[in-house]
Amino acid sequence: MGEIGHGGIEIVERIMDPKEAKEKIKGLPQVPIRSQIANEVIGIAYGFFSPLQGFMGKADVDGVCKNMRLANGVLWSIPIVFDMSNDEIQQYGVKAGAKVVLTYTDNPMALFEVEEVFEYDKEEMCQAVYGTKDPKHPGCARTYAYKDKFVGGKITLVNRPKINPPFEPYFIPPLQMRQIFKEKGWKRVVAHQTRNVPHTGHEWLMKGAWLQAYGELPIDKPYVGVLVNAIIGEKRKGDYIDEAIILTQDELRKSGYFGDHNHLTSLTFWDMRYAGPKEAVFHAILRTNLGLTHHMFGRDHAGVGTYYGPYDAHILLESVKNDLAITPVYSMNWLYCPHCGEVTSEGLCNHKKEWQKFSGTLIRSIVDDGVKPPRLIFRPEVFDLVMECAEKYGFGSPFVTDEYLQKRTPVFVIPPLQ
Amino acid sequence: MAGEKYPINIWVNEERYEKLQKAGLASMCEEVLAGLKVIKVYADEGQKDEILKKYPTAKFDSATTKSIELLPRKVKDQIFDLVVQKQSVDVMDEFLKNY
Repeated sequence: MGEIGHGGIEIVERIMDPKEAKEKIKGLPQVPIRSQIANEVIGIAYGFFSPLQGFMGKADVDGVCKNMRLANGVLWSIPIVFDMSNDEIQQYGVKAGAKVVLTYTDNPMALFEVEEVFEYDKEEMCQAVYGTKDPKHPGCARTYAYKDKFVGGKITLVNRPKINPPFEPYFIPPLQMRQIFKEKGWKRVVAHQTRNVPHTGHEWLMKGAWLQAYGELPIDKPYVGVLVNAIIGEKRKGDYIDEAIILTQDELRKSGYFGDHNHLTSLTFWDMRYAGPKEAVFHAILRTNLGLTHHMFGRDHAGVGTYYGPYDAHILLESVKNDLAITPVYSMNWLYCPHCGEVTSEGLCNHKKEWQKFSGTLIRSIVDDGVKPPRLIFRPEVFDLVMECAEKYGFGSPFVTDEYLQKRTPVFVIPPLQ
Repeated sequence: MAGEKYPINIWVNEERYEKLQKAGLASMCEEVLAGLKVIKVYADEGQKDEILKKYPTAKFDSATTKSIELLPRKVKDQIFDLVVQKQSVDVMDEFLKNY
């Protein structure tokens, strides 16, 4: 029996042998894809999105929108769709039964076996997934930007992505990840979802979740790990640059705030939808496939603006817990208490009037003002690395700028098919 | 809520601290977060909205700190200079009129 993923279904990598691939794709129409779709091809092919075998057909999209389930009944919260314009459909001869090659960075990436071409009401999709039709919601904006039709069908990777430095060691697909967990002897692993450089509030969220997950396990050796799983996808101006995020997360281990025995950093390619509760369910599915047993969910998980209540994600997760093979760990905020002289949990400390809350945004504002935050708030090794990343990767800034977006080295490319 | 005020945190780096000391205003700094010096300049609801509209990179941290963050450094320098000039943190009216 292989590795069992979400929905109790075996995880199968959909990756073709390169020699076979060259023959299989010969003469097929080549369809260029954008980065969002390339990220999702990787998600499907390596099993991050198991049990999906390809882009969704209408029955799956309908099931996800109306019942939060795939057509086969498995829980799923966000449509994974491939959109095309009518002109492109005609140009590439896309129809049920056709095969096309998806290309990225000008090279063949995946075989797409088309099963159906269909339309779906985008407003309906937005309302179902995001709980709003507001085009200002970034997930709705993405949905409205989809082209005329959707194409469903199976995906098989024909050419593995080349992950560029410094990201390469952090790309650990589900089957490989599960092997690493076995080698480390971890019986429980708790996921930390992030798109941020860690301050000590994040560090303590992880430490708190580690303690929560440890529970009744014996302490003769470490049986619990934290997996930082950074979401790498579309960037917005003002975000921390990807290089700073991934390297500083790992720095917490390298600098001894964690260790090899309890901490690992990795990435998943995904363009955030900011779907709040629905995205929380999606993250739970993703991390189930990665082999995790627990998942941290804080306040307003994957939310944006004021579209969702702070604990909506927790409520939705509770309602579907029997369909998930991962245990949610709900995290309270950590803050600085000058009376205690330490970072503490709002669930523990009672010096409420003295509490000093801090956030990623606040830390960014401190860094922007040219001030080095105290080590209790932001680890000096993390600060130094952020500054190093600014010089090395960020064209002088740790935050995404127009120049970074134009000139950065892509996280991955598809090399020529050998 | 009527009358609510939202802080703009001007973090005091060495350069700013030197200016404050020269003006005899070093005591204006509050110390927060385990040793950080900050000057808090407050904006009311209308001023907050005006600032966020005028400087699109700025963000109101509604979830955690209820403060206006990520104003461009240059803008914060201007607010800071006004604080030093006026010897007061009550400068937002004048700042929004003149800058």
